[in-house]
Amino acid sequence: MKRPFANASSGLSATDPRVKLLDTRMKKENFRPDALIEILHAAQNAYGYLPMPVLQHISNKLHIPPARVFSTVTFYHFFSLKSRGDHTCLVCTGTACYVKGAQQLLDAVEKSFGIKAGEVSADNKLGLQVARCIGACGLAPAVVIDEEVQAKTDGQQLVAKIHEKLEAI
Amino acid sequence: MPVITVYINGQKISTESGVTILEVCKANNIPMLTLCHLKGLHDIGACRLCLVEIEGVNRLLSGCTTQVADNMMIRTDTDRIKRYQRITVELFFAERNHVCAVCVANGNCELQQAGYAVGLDHIRYPFLYPECNVDTSHPWFVMDHNRCIMCTRCVRVCTQVEGAGNWGVMNRGHDVRIISDFNTPWGESSTCTDCGKCVHACPTGAIWPKAVAQGQLTKYPEMIGELVEKRKLLQ
Repeated sequence: MKRPFANASSGLSATDPRVKLLDTRMKKENFRPDALIEILHAAQNAYGYLPMPVLQHISNKLHIPPARVFSTVTFYHFFSLKSRGDHTCLVCTGTACYVKGAQQLLDAVEKSFGIKAGEVSADNKLGLQVARCIGACGLAPAVVIDEEVQAKTDGQQLVAKIHEKLEAI
Repeated sequence: MPVITVYINGQKISTESGVTILEVCKANNIPMLTLCHLKGLHDIGACRLCLVEIEGVNRLLSGCTTQVADNMMIRTDTDRIKRYQRITVELFFAERNHVCAVCVANGNCELQQAGYAVGLDHIRYPFLYPECNVDTSHPWFVMDHNRCIMCTRCVRVCTQVEGAGNWGVMNRGHDVRIISDFNTPWGESSTCTDCGKCVHACPTGAIWPKAVAQGQLTKYPEMIGELVEKRKLLQ
């Protein structure tokens, strides 16, 4: 058995601007191991999610064991190991939204775009997520598309709005 | 360290301050159930088997993480504690897939011993039967998540004693699992030193050496505490 003892290479390109940004951020924090969460935040902002090579890179630079980095990433719901898509549609399934028809909204999106909650479309354009409650019960049923809240929406409106967002770029 | 007096189950005991209730009990031969405690590792109070009642404190506290104070009235043998200990052990058995009859650690397992100690004859809770992996990728050792009780003794021994940090804990709640590196096979770990301390630290048959038959596993968890003492001499 042969193992890559010491740090495994992350395989990231040093010329990638996102890697440069991440390295600058780590340097600013003096490569302190306890700055891990801040660094992960920066990485997720740069990449949209946390790819495995990035986690390896952070683990190498901060001298934190890979298992500890992975523990932290999987503990907090904010961090994601999978791409969430270029655009995100977050459907609130809290009690008020659920009673007002959150399930119908999810069904409408699933029917139109072929993705279930937690999935990303094949072209990586749209990701569908659910939240327990976004704290906007007065706007039920509420959906957040790319950080923009859609209040008291229905399936037809929602699908139209998503198409609008997808075509905007 | 100033000497203080505590009362455990009515017995008057003189001890130095700054030690935990568990340490005092051990020094005075007062039996106390433990699972996540291992001498040499930092205590985390995770298994909740070393619960104690303290006069003036409404809730039960874990003996391994509570320090003694002067004139503390401690009870370790009340019906309330025994009831909770039994519930805890039942939940341990219901949480994963523990089958003593086919386990390498049968007869040499701390969870099994805890079961005998609380008089476990049946389990009142529905079994969860979670889907768990068995990682046999390491050349010498096996990690069987079915038998893991999440005491994190392997994680702590790897981080605090060996200093390698191969093990970690991922996810939350029911989904927690012990992981090697990035939830990758143990055999491909870039951090594991193959030292085998986690094998000895594991209280159940979750981590065991290959080529051991059912009921044939022998572990030496005391080795960890001795190793920590010896390493102190080096410093």
